[in-house]
Amino acid sequence: MNGKRIAVLMAAAGLMAALTACGGSAAKETDSSAKSTEASAAESESAAADGELTFTYLRDDSTTSFDLHQEITENNAFAIDKVFEPLVMFDADGNIYDYLAESHEISEDGTVYTFKLRDGLKFNDGTDVTSEDVKFSIERHLEIGGPLPIEADIKSIETPDDKTVVITLGTAYTPFISELANFSNGIIPKDLEGKSEEEFFKAPIGTGPFVVDEWDPSGDLSFVKNEYYWQDSAPTVDKLIYKVVDDDNQSINQLKTGEVDAVEDLSFAAAEEVANGDGTKVITQNSWNVDEVFFNTLDEHFADVHVRRALAMAIDREALNASQTHGFGVTANSVLPAAIRYHDFDAVKALEFNVDAAKEELKKSAFPDGFDTTISISSGSNIRLQEAQIIQAAGKSIGINIEIDQKEIAAFREAFKGFNFSIMINSATADYPDANSIFAFQVDPEGFSKCYWTSYVNDEAIELLHEGQTVADGDERQEVYTKLQQLLADEVPYIPLYYPENVVGVRDNVEGLEILPNGSAVFNKVTKN
Amino acid sequence: MKKLLKKLRHSTLYIGLIMLLLLAAAAIAAPYICSYDPISQDLYATLKAPGTSEHLLGTDQLGRDMLSRLLYAARTDLAVMVLAEIVPFISGIFIGMLSGYFGGRTEWIISLVTDTFIAFPYYLLVIVVAFMTGAGIHGIFITFMIVGWLVYARVAKPLTASMKNSEWVQAAKLMGYSDLRIIVKEIFPNVLPQAVVVLMTDMAALLVAIVTLGYLGIGITAPAPDWGSMISEGQTLIGTAPYLSLLPGLMVVYTGISLSLIGDGLADRWR
Amino acid sequence: MTDKIKKKNHKVESDKITASTRSAFNKSYRAWFIKALLRALTVIVLVMLAVFFIIRLVPGDPAVMVLGEHADEAAVEALRQKLHLDMPAGQQFVLFIRNILTSFDTGISIKYGVSCRSLVLQYVPVTLSLILLSMLITVVLTVILAFGAAMHRDGILDHMIRIIPAFTEGMPVFWVGLLLILFFAVKLGWFPVGGVGSGGTAFWKSLVLPAVTIAFGQIPPLIRSLREQLIEVLDADFVVTLKAARIPKRQIFIRHVLRNSFVPTLMLMSVNLSYLIGGTLIVEKVFAVRGMGKLLFDAISNRDFPLVQAVALYCAIFVVIISLVTDMIAHRADPRMLE
Repeated sequence: MNGKRIAVLMAAAGLMAALTACGGSAAKETDSSAKSTEASAAESESAAADGELTFTYLRDDSTTSFDLHQEITENNAFAIDKVFEPLVMFDADGNIYDYLAESHEISEDGTVYTFKLRDGLKFNDGTDVTSEDVKFSIERHLEIGGPLPIEADIKSIETPDDKTVVITLGTAYTPFISELANFSNGIIPKDLEGKSEEEFFKAPIGTGPFVVDEWDPSGDLSFVKNEYYWQDSAPTVDKLIYKVVDDDNQSINQLKTGEVDAVEDLSFAAAEEVANGDGTKVITQNSWNVDEVFFNTLDEHFADVHVRRALAMAIDREALNASQTHGFGVTANSVLPAAIRYHDFDAVKALEFNVDAAKEELKKSAFPDGFDTTISISSGSNIRLQEAQIIQAAGKSIGINIEIDQKEIAAFREAFKGFNFSIMINSATADYPDANSIFAFQVDPEGFSKCYWTSYVNDEAIELLHEGQTVADGDERQEVYTKLQQLLADEVPYIPLYYPENVVGVRDNVEGLEILPNGSAVFNKVTKN
Repeated sequence: MKKLLKKLRHSTLYIGLIMLLLLAAAAIAAPYICSYDPISQDLYATLKAPGTSEHLLGTDQLGRDMLSRLLYAARTDLAVMVLAEIVPFISGIFIGMLSGYFGGRTEWIISLVTDTFIAFPYYLLVIVVAFMTGAGIHGIFITFMIVGWLVYARVAKPLTASMKNSEWVQAAKLMGYSDLRIIVKEIFPNVLPQAVVVLMTDMAALLVAIVTLGYLGIGITAPAPDWGSMISEGQTLIGTAPYLSLLPGLMVVYTGISLSLIGDGLADRWR
Repeated sequence: MTDKIKKKNHKVESDKITASTRSAFNKSYRAWFIKALLRALTVIVLVMLAVFFIIRLVPGDPAVMVLGEHADEAAVEALRQKLHLDMPAGQQFVLFIRNILTSFDTGISIKYGVSCRSLVLQYVPVTLSLILLSMLITVVLTVILAFGAAMHRDGILDHMIRIIPAFTEGMPVFWVGLLLILFFAVKLGWFPVGGVGSGGTAFWKSLVLPAVTIAFGQIPPLIRSLREQLIEVLDADFVVTLKAARIPKRQIFIRHVLRNSFVPTLMLMSVNLSYLIGGTLIVEKVFAVRGMGKLLFDAISNRDFPLVQAVALYCAIFVVIISLVTDMIAHRADPRMLE
């Protein structure tokens, strides 16, 4: 053997050793972590033999926090609402009904709210729920404020007995009851049962149907059933797994092969395939969303109402809706989502598609010969890109040249939050099931969003907005909001395009999965045949 | 069979060239071939499957003619592919030649930069540039200017180093030629063939990269049709209208094959 | 007879190494090694510096990415303070350096709220296993195919092996991945559609298709390179002599030819490997494998600065190690490269 050969062999051995060292430690680590999951998998398998039910729900982002007062995004909200529950709940039509509360009463003048708690309510560790817990929960929320602050002017929270909570407002605020239905007003135990915040929200204690089991903030999350749950024979699911996958094709294929039981939030294009697929179906629900075109009214062109109206009339929204939602959306007539109370398909008339009328309208503006402008959208969304192209073509038909500016989502947000856009397409979402959620965001120039960054100011609209906040629910409120919707439909600071549905893909054998209009799934009565 | 294969192999250069020229010709002649404007929409004739008499290759989600989009996209993609290569190709060769020719400190600095680039996560750079410039052609050009030269420098450097001490370079030095002149006149022509071979594979790689950016949603901006954005726009419909992403995908593969064949053929010829 | 040829062969292969040249070699080797190590450290520092500032140049607010569009300014501002994002960049940089020096960490992830080091440690094994498996497939296939081609030069096999890569090189990775999923996972059900399986067998099984997808793109240039080198060595005098001496072909190949032709291919592979360390993003996305590529992509998208830095640091370290080891092997094989 000569020196060179030895050297080469040694070096090669070194590389191998280095590689296997990495590989070895890698394999070891995954093994150890695998073992625990394997063990739990084995458990659930043997459990499954006893008729226990595991449900795997595919989502596109991981749950990063359970602090209900600090969070707003869906990835967290739809996990938080499995653990914490509010006093009242909303249904698919935007009606509020009692949930943890057995009953609720609102005084004539709309300032005193009295809640009676259900009997036998327990947190998932077995302790009783009392009115003190409710008081603590709302007070913590008021103190933190957070991304979904309580807008009502709460003067006092009293707890005359264990089961009764009386909340008094300084001024009447009709949306308050809907605010309370939000996940962020879930009930947590008083003083977090003496735990530190970090400790508590790592293993949160609530009244919800599920209890956090294993949780990887950057990945999957699993729940087990809450043995103390107050609803009869619910939840039917023993173990619920939130599996994180954020690739459309992966989601569909995992559903096809049965690796998951359901997929949250399918794209419309995929929904069609899943609906017609072998072994799969879709569940749909009206949503709290409207996809809209927003005008920056600080832009010289779109300060002109005739320009806005002209472009609105140039867009064939029916065709746009049909081509983009594949039947999973409805052409919008108002900024109010169809699943929110006081929306009215008949009473509110949107501008109709008519290119000739659009041209006429543009002639009335300060820019009768058209102009050049830009439409901003976030990249990475095919639907947005296609919508932008449709609007681009619509603009062209009346002499407005529109360039498409696609920005990555974070850059897009930074741009429009700095009022740095001319036209943009975005999705407006109600945060809670009340018309005020949408209008406060889109009509109030004093609000932080400055009318969804359109800077639109209309005194009549503002007046109607405030009226809607104090008028009690009923016909009178309906009238106010119909008026407001029609006003916005005529002035078009934004063009509502369509109401997208929440579409969840499920395996054929799944029954009882309920989807709420905010997109959250209810697993309480799920069965698999 | 064997003879056929052999013949095929030895004519790879011509096959590749013919394939590429056909594509280029179709791209240039697109306005005459196609009876539809690639961006004109018909929202009432969306997703028509290929094979109808009106639309040979069908229509997309906005009712645009697929055939004319594919051909117009060829214009965009071929142009971007060639243009984006110019700067990296030239700068890469020169950086490599400088490094190989001078050696010493020049080489040390250049290779430190090279190493840093290699150790810098590729996608971090690509994504950051794309996020900063917004989706579109600019991002592709900038990204490629930043990273594209590495490949060529890697080819040019050892070649130059091996030529540095050759008799003819030494002779040129004795004749009093400047270093720059030696590099440009003596070394460059000898590095070029190898670099061109690499250029062919790299163009194919660039095309794939453009398409991949499209997949990540940060590719070329609509409505200028490009295969990458066509694939990404079509991929959500892969279950119901697979041709939307399949056809542009095949165009990419076709172009890749032709470039790869040319590169292979050139490599054979110049060895 | 055989002995004689072997001796001759050694002469051809390398310069005679005497005791004195060997010690000279060791000395220059040590000098080279120290230099290379220093250089590696410099590269890591440069990468970290570049990442720190580049990621902050990109428009977009991490706090808005966490809280979404609807959160009002007060909530966003509160979060920015909590995350030290309100500090000037210089101060953030000091904090960042201190974190690395004291805990070898880049801080708490903005999005996930846990230590970045723990996230990297959680996902490194997946990506490394994936790369390892793909390298294994790549090496085995490359060696077999390149040998096949070189041994039957101009035969059918050779032509096939040289034409096929032309077809595979133009295929985007996500396409190959998608096709493999549709066929082997959805249609045949041999492998899971995606994700990382738990437990030994399931774990490796879930990585097969992604690894094959990676190998798919790696193999063609490697085959080309190795085949070329093999042919060059095959034509060398000593091999011709060995052949004349009727030494079994296989023995010649493995003991003499391969050893003399693997260095350029190894270098090429090392470059590919460096690319893979931070470049498995597409495969990870297509196969829903949560690894370093995906972690990096999400971190950039969320403007999760500490996490981006952590992943970049990890990448730089691995790339530097790979290139160091490759150079060591190459230099041992061919001491002239020390210069």
